[in-house]
Amino acid sequence: MTGGGKDIGGRRGLGSYFRLLGAFGRFSLNRELAFRGNFLMKVLLEVVWLGILLLFFHTIFRNTSRIEGWNEYQYLFFLGCYYALEGLIETLFLENCVEFGELVRTGNLDFFLLKPIDEQFLVSFRHIDWSTAPKVVIGGALMGVGLWELGEPVTAGRIAGFVVALLSGMALAYSFLLILASTAIWMVRNQSLMELWWLFSSLMRYPRDIYEEPWAVMIQKVFTFLLPALLVVSVPAEAMVRVLDSAILAWTVFAGLMMLGVSRWVFRRAIRSYRSASS
Amino acid sequence: MSQGSQKGGAGPAIEVSHLCRTYKVAQKKAGLLASLRGLWKGETRTVEAVRDVSFRIDPGEMVAFLGPNGAGKTTTLKMLAGLVYPTSGTARVLGYLPWEREDSFRRQFSLVMGQKNQLWWDLPAADSFELHREIYSLERARFDSTLGELVELFGVDKLTRQPVRELSLGERMKMELIASLLHEPKVLLLDEPTIGLDVVAQGTIQRCLREYNLRKRATIILTSHYMRDVEALCSRVLMIVHGALQYDGQLSGLLDRFGRSKLVRLHFEETVPHGLERFGECKVNGPVAELKLEKSQIAQVLSSVVDLPGLVDLSVQDPPLEDVVAMAFGSGAGKP
Repeated sequence: MTGGGKDIGGRRGLGSYFRLLGAFGRFSLNRELAFRGNFLMKVLLEVVWLGILLLFFHTIFRNTSRIEGWNEYQYLFFLGCYYALEGLIETLFLENCVEFGELVRTGNLDFFLLKPIDEQFLVSFRHIDWSTAPKVVIGGALMGVGLWELGEPVTAGRIAGFVVALLSGMALAYSFLLILASTAIWMVRNQSLMELWWLFSSLMRYPRDIYEEPWAVMIQKVFTFLLPALLVVSVPAEAMVRVLDSAILAWTVFAGLMMLGVSRWVFRRAIRSYRSASS
Repeated sequence: MSQGSQKGGAGPAIEVSHLCRTYKVAQKKAGLLASLRGLWKGETRTVEAVRDVSFRIDPGEMVAFLGPNGAGKTTTLKMLAGLVYPTSGTARVLGYLPWEREDSFRRQFSLVMGQKNQLWWDLPAADSFELHREIYSLERARFDSTLGELVELFGVDKLTRQPVRELSLGERMKMELIASLLHEPKVLLLDEPTIGLDVVAQGTIQRCLREYNLRKRATIILTSHYMRDVEALCSRVLMIVHGALQYDGQLSGLLDRFGRSKLVRLHFEETVPHGLERFGECKVNGPVAELKLEKSQIAQVLSSVVDLPGLVDLSVQDPPLEDVVAMAFGSGAGKP
């Protein structure tokens, strides 16, 4: 049985979620523009940091032609992919997940639970952090330069593999963050758990081939099959500039979907235990 | 399914039966050693925040929810809003189980908390209203006309384009209320909406709430520590003390039940004569004396004071509602 009114009780279409995301983007941009100085500062820091990183890798590649099979321009593509992905994560949901604990502690989560919309969507995407969006552009540019310098033809199959792997990688990172954030409901103060995000993103930062030394194989196995952090950037980058391996691609997609399901389950369990801080 | 529990049906707007909520609260003893011990074995204590509360409220009623701090008012409101699950018992709001949080239910009510802020702090309120329109998927024309009406009603025309952080507390509260009324809720739960506001802002908010209640026949539950709010808005009162419902009835009935005393004001021509203390507690202020008397004494005392020399005026009043409520809160304090 649903409610009586004509606009009551109807299920919200996917389109309206996209519209809402657009609205969050617009209003976040309004807010960001009110603090232009902060925005410019963040972009400047990002550029300086990238400059140092590029200089470092350029120095390494002056002394060797490959690192575990990656040549300089393949690696540049990997770096661009990492930058773009991290930029997307930071722009869309990192801040929201990190601040989730604060919402729980202050009881302001109440307002998110009262709205006639999926709570997870509202909590995850309420602020779009535009100050980190330039990283996506920078990452894209690095990938472009890498591909250009490699000079190999880019096939439709590789593009499709890259896009699918990138989306799955984002799903993995998002799910991991959401699970960490959800624990705030039981622990209230979960800063130490958010440090785990730092570990997760550090694992994303380098190609998974670097863990092929005998002593490191265990690490590679754990973070490929148990907590698939190593897949997030490596698989899309490999799909584009190295080997398009359908088995690892399929596993990445499967793991991404599964983690989305698990994180949603954890989030809903957490919301059920929410006690709402007293006013 | 009974008629009363049908969604959108003609039954009560709110029906609560035997609602209970207990919390486990961690107990921390003072000192580092005790804290270390707590790492292994945390001691908890069970607190009964709400105990066996039942009531029903009809559509269009405005009801005040009174009780001392920590009595369980906010917990009850939060259960009705679907934020907190009850330990036992049940409640239906507009026919819905609130804690199932169906979207169609959430479109039809609002919870406003005077101590919390849901508008975007750095943006003008108008932007938050616009976001609200998206979240509730409100039709543009309907939204514009409702917003226009509310802005006029609250008299905040020029303020909606100013960043929320630059508004005064009273102005901000008006914006919060506008945001919560934009989707024209049928049930409005207000938790201390006038806290910290001056008398003028309180008056405006009271007037607007009354107006909204009349226009939309909305059901309103209000908690407040300001008896002025209660007197202005609600004829019915629910009183909760230590998690249990102590009183459910008319505001005037509360005075009859808990207001055992009356105030007799005696106005004299020049000075107040000595010896009035023999009748009871007496306060003198210039030519005016106030005697606080038990109801049963009134007739006898009045007959003795009318003949006092220089008496020009006399009146019998109910004690201030604050005093009555304080007494009522106290009467429940002895219970566990």
